[in-house]
Amino acid sequence: MNRLDALRGTTPPKPHDARAIAALAANPGCARRALLDGAGIDKDATARHLGFPAPFGQSPFAITRGNAFEALVKADGCAELLRMLREVLELPVAEVAYHDVENVGAHLRHTHTRALIDRAARDEHDSGTIYDHPLLGLEIAGHTAYLEPDVVAFQLGGRFHIVEIKSFAVIDGQADPAAVAAAARQAAVYVLALRRMLRELGHDPLRVAHDVVLVCPENFANRPVATLVDVRRQLAVLERQLSRMTGLDRLVEGLPEELTFDLLPGEDGLPTRPAAELADALRRTTARYAPDCLSTCDLCFFCRDEARQEGACDLLGRQVRDELGGVASAEEALGLADGSRAPAEGQEEIARLLRTAERLRRECLA
Amino acid sequence: MSLLTSLARLRALEEGIAQPIATVRHCHLAERPMVLIPLRMSGEAAAPLAALLGTRRDDPRLLVVTQPRNRDLRFAWAADLAAELLPYIGSFLAGTETVERKNSDPYERVLDAPQILVPNQAGIAFIRLLGRSTRFRRAHGPYPVPPTVPLLGRWLTYFGERATHPGSSLMTAVTEELGRHWASGQSGLEDANLAALTAWITTGPSDDAEDPLVWPPAGPATDPGFDAEVLAPAIEAGAAERITEALRGQLEPTWRLMWQAVDLLRELPEGASVEQRWEQDRGSFSAMAQHIAEGAPPQARRDGAVAAASRLARMERAQAAYEVQRAYDDPLVMAEYRLTGEAFAGEVVETEPEHSEGEGRSRKLRPLVVVKTDDPVRLAPGTALGTPQRRAQGAQLVEARDGLVTVKITKGMGRGKTPAPGSVPEVGERVCYTSLTDDFQGSPALPEAEATPWTHGGPPREYAPSDEDALEEWS
Amino acid sequence: MGDRLDDLERRIDELRAGVRRAMRARDTATARGLRADLRAAERAWDALVTGGLDPALPNDARAVPPPGDVRAVFPHDNARAVSPPEGPGRLAIPGEALGGVPVGGAPSSTAAAGGAAGRQPGAGGRRGGGGLRLVTVREQAHQALTLLGVPAQPRLIAAVREAFLGGGLRGAQLTSLRRDEERSFASSPYGRPYYLCAALTDRLSPARGLLAVSTWPQELRMVGPLSPRVHFLTCAVAVAERMAGGHGVDAEPDSGAARLLARMARNIPGGAVLDIGPPDPARVIEAARAELAVHAERDTRDRADLARRAAAQLGDRGRLFGAATLSTIGDRAATGPPAT
Ligand code: SF4
Repeated sequence: MNRLDALRGTTPPKPHDARAIAALAANPGCARRALLDGAGIDKDATARHLGFPAPFGQSPFAITRGNAFEALVKADGCAELLRMLREVLELPVAEVAYHDVENVGAHLRHTHTRALIDRAARDEHDSGTIYDHPLLGLEIAGHTAYLEPDVVAFQLGGRFHIVEIKSFAVIDGQADPAAVAAAARQAAVYVLALRRMLRELGHDPLRVAHDVVLVCPENFANRPVATLVDVRRQLAVLERQLSRMTGLDRLVEGLPEELTFDLLPGEDGLPTRPAAELADALRRTTARYAPDCLSTCDLCFFCRDEARQEGACDLLGRQVRDELGGVASAEEALGLADGSRAPAEGQEEIARLLRTAERLRRECLA
Repeated sequence: MSLLTSLARLRALEEGIAQPIATVRHCHLAERPMVLIPLRMSGEAAAPLAALLGTRRDDPRLLVVTQPRNRDLRFAWAADLAAELLPYIGSFLAGTETVERKNSDPYERVLDAPQILVPNQAGIAFIRLLGRSTRFRRAHGPYPVPPTVPLLGRWLTYFGERATHPGSSLMTAVTEELGRHWASGQSGLEDANLAALTAWITTGPSDDAEDPLVWPPAGPATDPGFDAEVLAPAIEAGAAERITEALRGQLEPTWRLMWQAVDLLRELPEGASVEQRWEQDRGSFSAMAQHIAEGAPPQARRDGAVAAASRLARMERAQAAYEVQRAYDDPLVMAEYRLTGEAFAGEVVETEPEHSEGEGRSRKLRPLVVVKTDDPVRLAPGTALGTPQRRAQGAQLVEARDGLVTVKITKGMGRGKTPAPGSVPEVGERVCYTSLTDDFQGSPALPEAEATPWTHGGPPREYAPSDEDALEEWS
Repeated sequence: MGDRLDDLERRIDELRAGVRRAMRARDTATARGLRADLRAAERAWDALVTGGLDPALPNDARAVPPPGDVRAVFPHDNARAVSPPEGPGRLAIPGEALGGVPVGGAPSSTAAAGGAAGRQPGAGGRRGGGGLRLVTVREQAHQALTLLGVPAQPRLIAAVREAFLGGGLRGAQLTSLRRDEERSFASSPYGRPYYLCAALTDRLSPARGLLAVSTWPQELRMVGPLSPRVHFLTCAVAVAERMAGGHGVDAEPDSGAARLLARMARNIPGGAVLDIGPPDPARVIEAARAELAVHAERDTRDRADLARRAAAQLGDRGRLFGAATLSTIGDRAATGPPAT
């Protein structure tokens, strides 16, 4: 058993989906997260067992709406999708061949996807245009994560495009930037997975376009509209983070031999590990909490609590942290400000600023 | 965020209570604000679910779409909202004053204007979308809606856009305003939670603020757990009463917080320039009202290129003016500039009130003032200066050395041979000078660009709403 | 009454909080128990607050429509031409009146369908008219499929019914239909004049979410790579022809028929001039036929090849319901696109 598996112990691994992989790139500096994800640990279950359940949840209305919208885009032989692909990719009218990868049994889907993609890449004629329910694989720290993009579209020019269907609205040409960014991060995961598949098959990975087709409802109606989104930047971040994860060995080396994050699930699957012990184990790894974690990582409340106990400046956000450059705790910063603490080497400038700031605040509030 | 604010946040973290970062209130606060808490149906772009609103804290009005998937009920809800908001807006149109302008016709400006308070930025964004989804509707033809609905849409669009104008108080998010006056010991991201921020300011941080069972979210998004466990079954059962009561339960805690926030802000004395910015708000509001009265079409779906550029320029000017005004109004804000060396404050140690320059008829009074300061002055000789203590005066930095700064008063001394009493600071007086200049102050009477007649500044792109706009689905 | 309401409200609040706390801790057993109590309390509250007026009658109270609630599903002449597929005795089962499925001894599915219909009171009767005949879900689907002439998804079948044949059918009611039909075929092959069966993929497995009619030739029940598009275009022609023949349920631009055609038209190159306004059926027919001409030859060839394979490799049941075993298709086949 390798060290990463030992960290997970007897708890079953949690497969990564694209959203989880995309979130990896959100806090690339955090060793705790890298280790937990690398070991395939169920962070959600871990957080809950620690008494810090993640604040995420999706409304059933949002889920229903998302499903209904996807069904609409794909209804009637992907009629809406074809219209949009004809518009944005200039797909010729003859290009309508549709393959539903899910027509094969679940265990064959990945192989079948490979075979279809290989055929398309080899022989540009007669091979198909739309691949529905494909199943891609991506190696994450030694484990294969299986990913299901909404659709892969193959264009006559020999290029593959990832199609991402999202139910947030584009209103008068504008969408919620955060939602678009999240969709782009997720689509980048699919692009990367498909590129790696092509490379394994001996084809040019760059035949997978870095422009993904984002399909959203337009304005206040349900009518879908497609936009090309360039995900090159997201791809670069993702690749860096994944290569970092293959370097997990170094992180693992620094850990005590007996360390494990095992939840010790009992027969009913519920954790039996004492929560305090698990918390101690986690604290042996270095976190890098930032308020962004609150929307990207299941462990956020646990790590925030830890940061609070340490009085870490990270709690207040990256801006404050950057402004304080090099002063890590609130206590230290306040000590420098009121002069009760002497600046360490390299802290002279920030200490001077803090002292002035403190004097000004006192003066103005007196 | 400045280092000064960062320090305040650290202090808040240590002391467990929010710290002031302003000594005066920088926003207008109406006598009779309209508090409006909108809720949106999850998963939908702009489908309303409910709103709690009103101008009196003991008398909120609850509007609910009891069957959120029903389009007709959405329009009925919008009509109900119009029935609350339009009379409120209209009540300000009666009293006006005539404002004279240079190079232009005089115009009528309302004496007071409406103010809508929304919990957070997301609420404002939702109001803007509500405006967008209703302003093109028509009272006649296919899919007729009550005539008040498109009118409401135009007003909501207007308020939504005006909310992005720096320093405007016609519609503001109270979390933003609270955050401008207090630094909490949490991140800006978490400050968007009204319950959490109010707790920091009043009693200290509380984990309850993040528990949707104790403090339901202030909207427009509802708590997913509430959706799953309460709303969905009630909708499924078609239980209109139950939906209404459940939503009231989600909204009322926020209602109380909103008024608590109003109280907190009201305790602060109003900043000196607030009145002037409110005057601009009144001008802008008057122009919009006149626009509607003249039968102009609803706002375009998108700004044309020219309009967008001029809007951007206007916003930048407003932003700069807002920042300078706040610094002049509030020593704690000015302190940020003192920290960066763009301003300094201290005691006057020496004056030469009758110092003058030039000979004979061109001889002018140029008093010199020496200020002793501990501030790190980073201003070059010759820099033009202003001072909050004597806003009409202009000055110039002569030299700064060893904590002593010599300033020459160059503007606002009049024509006399000797300075008017009080126009030159006395020895021992505390003064503050800054390179932030207050150019905009020269034209406070000018109305907003929106109020400029269309004939000035080129013809705007006329937006002709199409049938498609009117028939657009609202699903 | 006020006191009782107050008590109930307090109890409902406690229960809700309890449920949500349990949900957050993923303690599903507790949550389930609390939820049942909560539903009961909510129903009691609904009943009390509406004072027996009944606008908010909980849905289980409506699961079985009262006898007088039987509504005409077919107010139109064209529909009357279709003869009832089953003996009249079957139609008297109350659970089937508004959409039961005659599956011969599958009470769970009848109850479910009846309950589903009950949740939409008035849906079946929106077109008004006196109660004339009762039509089962399978017959309703059969009529729509016959109109379209090619395999179709439940939602399209429902839309066609709503547009031309009288509404009341919802896509969700069709999801278990194919499995029921296969079971019926298995127990007595060819015991019915027609079956609603599967369309078969190039792997001879049932295509997901498509319904076909057993009396159609095998080629028509095969799905090649181009067939989804060909099906769509063919359906568009059928719908437009029906419209052109004046068969839309009403002439309003907002009628189901016009909306259906408009939605189809804008996805066919040259099918719609303007984005709004009623679509022109003749134009849609012309445009759809033009694109059909591009695909027809290859699609026909593909399907003929597939049909030959099906004939060679499959037995009777397989040819109708696909090569996979009952257990695999049961869950996936008729459920439409997955909920991802
Ligand atoms: S929440 Fe904790 S583990 Fe997750 S990324 Fe942030 S610091 Fe790392």
